Amino acid sequence: MAVAVVADRGAPITRPRLGGETPALEARDVVREFGPTMVAVDGIDLRLQPGEFLTVFGPNGAGKSTLLGLLAGRLRPTRGEISVRGQRLDPGSTEWRSDIGVLSHHGMLYPHLTASENLRFFGRLFGLDALDERVERGLARVDLSDRRDSRVHTLSHGMRQRLAMARALLHDPYVILLDEPYTGLDPHAASVLQSVLMSLRDGQRTVVMVTHNLVQGLQMSTRLAIQVRGRLVWEAARGEVDGRGFESVYHEVVAAR
Amino acid sequence: MTYLGQVYAIIWKDLLIEVRTRERVASMGAFAVLSGVLFNFAMDWTAVRPQDVGAGLIWMTIVFGGMLGLGRTFMLEASDSAFVGVLMSPAPKDAIFLGKAIANFIFLMLIAVFIVVVFSAFFGLDLGPNPGLVFVVLALGALGFVALGTLFSALASGTGMGETLLPILVFPLLVPMIVFGVSATSRLLAGRPVSEVAGNVRLLGAFAVGAVAAGAALFRFVVEE
Repeated sequence: MAVAVVADRGAPITRPRLGGETPALEARDVVREFGPTMVAVDGIDLRLQPGEFLTVFGPNGAGKSTLLGLLAGRLRPTRGEISVRGQRLDPGSTEWRSDIGVLSHHGMLYPHLTASENLRFFGRLFGLDALDERVERGLARVDLSDRRDSRVHTLSHGMRQRLAMARALLHDPYVILLDEPYTGLDPHAASVLQSVLMSLRDGQRTVVMVTHNLVQGLQMSTRLAIQVRGRLVWEAARGEVDGRGFESVYHEVVAAR
Repeated sequence: MTYLGQVYAIIWKDLLIEVRTRERVASMGAFAVLSGVLFNFAMDWTAVRPQDVGAGLIWMTIVFGGMLGLGRTFMLEASDSAFVGVLMSPAPKDAIFLGKAIANFIFLMLIAVFIVVVFSAFFGLDLGPNPGLVFVVLALGALGFVALGTLFSALASGTGMGETLLPILVFPLLVPMIVFGVSATSRLLAGRPVSEVAGNVRLLGAFAVGAVAAGAALFRFVVEE
């Protein structure tokens, strides 16, 4: 089964652990405006330690993807500061980029390259060593070894999404950002993706996932949050939340805003 | 080594995609053949020598054909937001720029050689006593052209107007390169001594170096938010 395959072949983490209280990911009073009237992210504070898995739920237009874009360093905050492992996300610096892996609904893959060519290309951009081994391990991890020579435009949506996951994890990032990773996946692809996400709960990586899917979001998280109109209006540790009652909590919180 | 590896990765990726899609080279090549056919029938070759008009025809075909290819440089990148993945990698933005500019340079030089071959075949264009120097002039011009073209293609793709905006932005900046290039090429085709074109070649080289340096320095401001 996919879970066993993924667990056996998961890439080992070789980077040093963080010392002291340095958070893996920190956002301080982050605001992002688009023009004078649109505030997509409005004063968000986050402090995530290694091993934490935060799922952010929220309705359409709540600013979840913008928040993820800010945490990935793709967007610049209008105000506030974001740091990864104590390093401020300064666009002039490139070092922090190796600490972050991003999976969005766009695969960020070249359709005319094969699966392995895509991984090899991004591996070179990250300056990775033992690239062939990493590529093979990455493909095996998402159950795509037999499609290594298939061009991406010939793959199904689910396969592309799994390959995008392999791309996002190729460089063993500490912080993994997931934007609606389950969108449009068939059950097998969802199962493979879920087992990969489960393998990330190794106590060293920090994951932030934004999703509409309450069930899948609850399954893996250690922390939950609800974002409405750019603000995190509700937060809780997973252990404090009754999974069966979460849907009504979610609807209440969203309706109240 | 990593920096060069990153530049190489971008070049390798662009060349491989072009080999598979032939989007840019095919459109530029078709334009070159069409230009050759049209010029062949438009000119009265008993009244005009190919050497007298060849430089203008070569450069006009390179610039317009090149614009067709450069306009598509970042359209291919937009597919599936692949270029966002490139920008989120630790590769320096100037390495990304250099990789794309070098790939575009290779495409444009292929087309430049093809244009010379086509024009030679259609109306017997003779490159004169210094054919190597003609290609040096074309290469220096192409380098300046692709440097500015790559930079402004990235800028234009970000506006959503892509291929429409690119010529409007780039043509005014290309005027010095076209003047130096046409002037040097026409003298070489006419068989004038090398000493007569040395000044134009130096200016063309300075323009190319300046364009590459400006492109590498400014690219991050164009592609980053």
